[in-house]
Amino acid sequence: MRRSVSIAGLAAALVLGIGVWDTGQKGSVTSAQEKMSTMEVKIDNFSFGPVALTVPVGTTITWTNRDDIPHTVVSTDDPKTFKSKVLDTDDKFSFTFSKAGTYPYFCSIHPKMTGKVIVQ
Amino acid sequence: MHPFDIKTVLFAKHAQHVVLIHFPIALFIIGVLFDFLAQWKKQRVLAAAAYYNLLVAAIATVPVVVTGILAWQWELEGQKLKGILLMHLVMGCLSTVLIWVVCFIHTRTRRKQQEVLPGYRLPIEAVAVVIVALTGHLGGFLSGVNGPG
Repeated sequence: MRRSVSIAGLAAALVLGIGVWDTGQKGSVTSAQEKMSTMEVKIDNFSFGPVALTVPVGTTITWTNRDDIPHTVVSTDDPKTFKSKVLDTDDKFSFTFSKAGTYPYFCSIHPKMTGKVIVQ
Repeated sequence: MHPFDIKTVLFAKHAQHVVLIHFPIALFIIGVLFDFLAQWKKQRVLAAAAYYNLLVAAIATVPVVVTGILAWQWELEGQKLKGILLMHLVMGCLSTVLIWVVCFIHTRTRRKQQEVLPGYRLPIEAVAVVIVALTGHLGGFLSGVNGPG
């Protein structure tokens, strides 16, 4: 009787341990996916950084204006896939890329400022 | 990009506003300089030079204001401006008004065939030069010429 209780206890501990390990694994996978799904582009010194960014489908990119000058983030296609308002210092703009493709963009106040997002 | 699309011609990688703005700024400042010299040296030829510079400066403000407002309406979709952009717009309008006021004073005097220009024009011209310079500085800051870029 005592032996069967011990085996049952051991089995329960094993099941519980596997459950905890499995949850931990799922958690780490989820956080990795979350990390993958958001990326940041900094706007500073009249340039986008990084200039070109390759991301998987479903990624949300956030542009943050770290410059003293107002900027915009506008796709070059017509009609515009994305177009931000004027971003003052520390303002942010986010867009989620749900389709694969290449998305060139620029700042409509400073047309020489260009960047590109490649969605795979 | 279509080469005959008006928005492409005016804005995409050209930004005509920042090119055209140099004409009224230069003409107005030189016009005021000639006017002050004419006042000091009492020379009609300098006064005439001042008049023509100020006249062309006033005319040159028209395409500048038009391209500036079109850039705001088309490139920024007329959104409510704030910060440096708003300050640049307000000071740009004020500069335009002052340039036209100075031009009007000179034109009226010439039409009335008066020998002497009114003395009150000089402080107006001095203030106008300061406002124009500040507006140009803000514009340069916005375009990256006077800024960190």
